[in-house]
Amino acid sequence: MLSRRTFSSTLLLPALAVGVTQTHAATVGQAAPDFSALDALGKSHKLSDFKGKHVVLEWTNPGCPFVVKHYGGNMQALQKEFTAKGVVWLSVNSTNKDASDYLAPAKLMAWTVEKKAGASAVLMDESGKIGQLYSARTTPHMYIINPQGVLVYAGAIDSVPSARVDDIKTATNYVRQGLNETLGGKPISVASTRAYGCSVKYKDA
Amino acid sequence: MTVPMNSRYLKNALFFIAACALFQGASAQINFNKKPAASTVITTDQVRAELMAFAPEGVQPGKPVWVGLQIAHQPKWHTYWKNSGDSGLPTVLEWQLPAGITAGDIAWPTPKKIPIGTLANYGYENTVLLPVPLTVARNFNGEQLDIKLKAAWLVCEKECIPQEGDFTLSIPSKSSTALQSQAFQAAFDAAPKPLAAGTSQIEVSGKAIKVVLSGLPASLTGKELAFFPETGSVIEPAAQWTQSWQGSVWTAQIPLSGQRTESPAVMPVVVAFDKISYRIEAPVKGEWPKVAVAAQLPPAIEAALKSNASSGATPIQAPAASLTLWAALLGALIGGIILNLMPCVFPVLAIKMVSFVKVKDQRTRVAAGLAYTAGVTLSFLALGALLLALRAAGEQLGWGFQLQSPAVVAALAVLFTLIGLNLAGLFEFGNFLPSRVASLQAKNPTVDSFLSGVLATAIASPCTAPFMGASLGLAVGLPAVQALAVFAAIGLGMALPYLAASAIPAVANMLPRPGAWMVTFRQLMAFPMFATVVWLVWVLGQQSGIDGAGALLGLLVLMALSIWALTLKGRVRSVIATLSIAASAFFIWATGPNIIKTQESQAASSTLPSNWQPWEPGRVEQIMSGGQSVFVDFTAAWCVTCQYNKKTTLSNALVLADFEAKKVTLLRADWTRRDPAVTAALAQLGRSGVPVYVIYKPGRAPVVLSEILSVEDVRAELAKL
Repeated sequence: MLSRRTFSSTLLLPALAVGVTQTHAATVGQAAPDFSALDALGKSHKLSDFKGKHVVLEWTNPGCPFVVKHYGGNMQALQKEFTAKGVVWLSVNSTNKDASDYLAPAKLMAWTVEKKAGASAVLMDESGKIGQLYSARTTPHMYIINPQGVLVYAGAIDSVPSARVDDIKTATNYVRQGLNETLGGKPISVASTRAYGCSVKYKDA
Repeated sequence: MTVPMNSRYLKNALFFIAACALFQGASAQINFNKKPAASTVITTDQVRAELMAFAPEGVQPGKPVWVGLQIAHQPKWHTYWKNSGDSGLPTVLEWQLPAGITAGDIAWPTPKKIPIGTLANYGYENTVLLPVPLTVARNFNGEQLDIKLKAAWLVCEKECIPQEGDFTLSIPSKSSTALQSQAFQAAFDAAPKPLAAGTSQIEVSGKAIKVVLSGLPASLTGKELAFFPETGSVIEPAAQWTQSWQGSVWTAQIPLSGQRTESPAVMPVVVAFDKISYRIEAPVKGEWPKVAVAAQLPPAIEAALKSNASSGATPIQAPAASLTLWAALLGALIGGIILNLMPCVFPVLAIKMVSFVKVKDQRTRVAAGLAYTAGVTLSFLALGALLLALRAAGEQLGWGFQLQSPAVVAALAVLFTLIGLNLAGLFEFGNFLPSRVASLQAKNPTVDSFLSGVLATAIASPCTAPFMGASLGLAVGLPAVQALAVFAAIGLGMALPYLAASAIPAVANMLPRPGAWMVTFRQLMAFPMFATVVWLVWVLGQQSGIDGAGALLGLLVLMALSIWALTLKGRVRSVIATLSIAASAFFIWATGPNIIKTQESQAASSTLPSNWQPWEPGRVEQIMSGGQSVFVDFTAAWCVTCQYNKKTTLSNALVLADFEAKKVTLLRADWTRRDPAVTAALAQLGRSGVPVYVIYKPGRAPVVLSEILSVEDVRAELAKL
C-alpha cells in the first residue's frame, strides 16, 4: 500500500510542475513563457533557444482580412527590416484544423513564399497551446521578447484598428517603434496595447 | 490564394480583394453589388445596412432628431458593440452634416456576449439599430436635411469581413419623419438606462475586480445579470466569473485581463437581465496592478552593457551579455585552472599531486589523472544541472546558491575542519589523502582518484561563486546544453594541471621528489584550511547570527575532540570517544536549529555604514526620479571578491569623496541569504552572481562596472556623471 502511494505521488510531482509552467500566462514585464513548436517545414523551434536575441511573435492566419491588410507589404517590410538587425521573427498560426480557413503546413508555407514573407519561421499551433499561453486573441497579435527573455510588448501591430490598407500610412506602428526603442537601449514607451483583428480560431475548449 | 474555400467564403474574399484594390486607389468610394455609390441601403452577403432617420416633430431646434444605421445580419453573423471584447472592431459612423447640425455619440443598445472558442466578444446578431442624436442649431433653416454617412463595420461569423459604405438620406425639415419610429423605439428600449453611481463602485483587488452595484431596481433583485464593461482590455471577457446579491446590492468578482492596457478611474458598465439593462459609471477604488513595470529596466541595462563593452570599461571580464559562448568557455577553462590556487583547493591538490609522483607506472598514473578529471568534470556538471533544474522549477537562484543555505555553509565548515585536522596530523584516514575515507583506494585506485575529484569540487565550490561571476552569469541564461558546457569547462580547467602532471612525464619530473619535507608541507597546508573555516563561520554568522556561528564553533570543537578520542587506544578510547560523541550528538540536537535557521531580521542592513542604504526593489527608480545618481553594490558575505572590494575600493577616501561630491546615493543589495528580488535584479543585469556594481544616472543608461573594482575605474565613471 505504502509503496504504491509513494509511487503515485512521485508520478504526480512532475505532472504538477508541468501544469504550473503552462498556466503561467504571458504578462508584459515578466519572463515570456517558453514553448517549442514545429514550423511549417517540420523543423522544431524552442523559444529559449533564442535567448540573447530579440524575438517577435506574430499571430497570423492568412484567411483573416486584417492579416491580409498588413500582408499587402507592411508586414513583410517590418519582418525584413528587423530580421536584418538580428531580430528573430516567429509567425504563429493557432488556427484549429476544423476552421474553414485552416491551412495545412505545406499550404501555409506556400502562402508564406507567395507573400514573400520575411519571418524566421512560421510555427504551427493547431492545438492553440502557444496562443493560449500568450493570451493571443486576434490575428495579427504582436509580441516582443527582449534578449533576457522578458516580454516587453504585447498588443496591436499599429495604432489604427481597421481593416483599411490606407490607414497603415497614418498609423503609428507599435512594433517598429518598440523594436527601435528596445534595440536602441531605450525602454519601450508603449508596451501594452489592445490588439485588433479577427479572433484567433482556437480549438473549442 | 490557393486556399480551399467554400463558395460563400470565396465570394467574401473576392469582395475583400476588390475592396482593397479600390481603397488603394484615389477614390474612397466603393460600390457594393453594383448599387449606386451612395444610397440609403447597402446589402452584402452578410448584412443589409440601412441609414434611417426619426424626426417626429421635424428638424427643429430643441426637438428630438435621430439618425441611425440599422444592420440586419444574416444568421450567425454579428457586428460589434463599443467594446468589442477579445477581438473585433466597433462599428464606426462618420457623419457629414450641413452647418448647424451636429451629431452626438451612438446610443449603443445593450449587446450580447458572443463566445468564440476560448474567447468572447460583445456584439449584435439579428437586427440592430445604432441611433445617433442630432442637435439642431437655432440658425438652421434648411428646407430639408441632407445626411451623409460613411460607415465601416466588421462583420464576423467565425471568419471576419470588414465592410464599409457611403449612405445618403434627405428628410424634410418642416414635416414629421416617423416612418421608422418602431425601429427607433426598439433601439431606445434596448439601450441601457442610466443609473446614478450612488454607492456603486469597483474595487481592484489583486488580479480581479469586485463590482459592487447598488440602486438597481427591485425587479432585478436576485436575478442573474449579464455584465458588459464599456472599457475594453480590462477584464477577461471569456473568463469564469461569479456574482451574488446581498439584499438589493449586486456584487460580481471578475478576473482582470493578463494583458490589461487600461487603468481607468471610472468604469462605465452595463448590466442586463433579459431586455432590461442599466448603465452605471462606477468609480474605481484601489490601485490597478502596475502594467509592464519591469519592461522599463532590461533594455536600458542592456544598453549599459553594450556601451560598457564598446568603451572597454570592464578590462578584467567583459559583461555577461556581450560574452560569446567561446569566450565564456575559455573564461571558464582559465577560471577552473585558477581555482587550483584558491586557499580552499590548493592544499588538497598540492598534496595529491605530490603524492602520485610516487607512482612509477605511467599507465596507472594517467588512469588516475583521467579518473580525477572525470570526477571533477562530472561533479561540476551535476552541480550545474542541479542549478538549472532548480531554476527551471521556478526557484529564484543564481550561482553561489549553494552558499545561501546555512546548512551547506555549516557542512562545508565541518568538512574543511576535518581536512585541516587531517593535514595537521591529528588523525589519519589510513593514509594522509583526505579522500581515502574508505578502503576503496587500496582496492581501486581509479575509483579513489574519481572520488578525489568529487571532493575537490565540493571544497572548490565556495571559491567558484566569488571568482567566476560573469561566465556563470552567462551560463545560466544559455540553453541547457551550452550552460552545461560552461560548467564542464570549469571542471576541465580545474583538473587540467593534475591531468597534465599525470600524463606528461616532463611535468611530473619537475615536481620535487617526495621526502620528509612533505610532512612539514602538509602540516603547513592545514592553516589555509582553517582560514577557510574562519571565513565560513563568518558567513554563517551573517546568515544565522552570532548564536549560529557560536554553535557551529562549539560543534567543531566537539567534533575535533571525538576524532582525537578515536585515535586513542584501549579503555581510555572507549570512554572518551563515547562521551565526546554523545556530547556532540546532544550538542547538535540542542543547537543545530540555531545554525540552520536563517536570521529573520535584516541584520545586514542595520549594520550598514551610515553612508550606505539598503537596496530594495524600486528604490533606484525612486531616487533617480529625484534627479540623483545611484551606485548599487550587489554583494554577499560569502563572496570574497565582494568583501575585498568593499574593504579596498569602496572604502577608499578618494572614491568616497567623489561619491559625496557627485551626490551619489549608495545602495547595498545583500545576497548573503536567498532573496528573489535581488536575484531578479541581477538577472536583469544579465548576471546570476555577485559582485555586480552599477551606476545609475537619470536620463542615461546605467553603467555596469568591472567586478574587480579598481579605484581608477570607479573615479573615471564618477567623473562622467
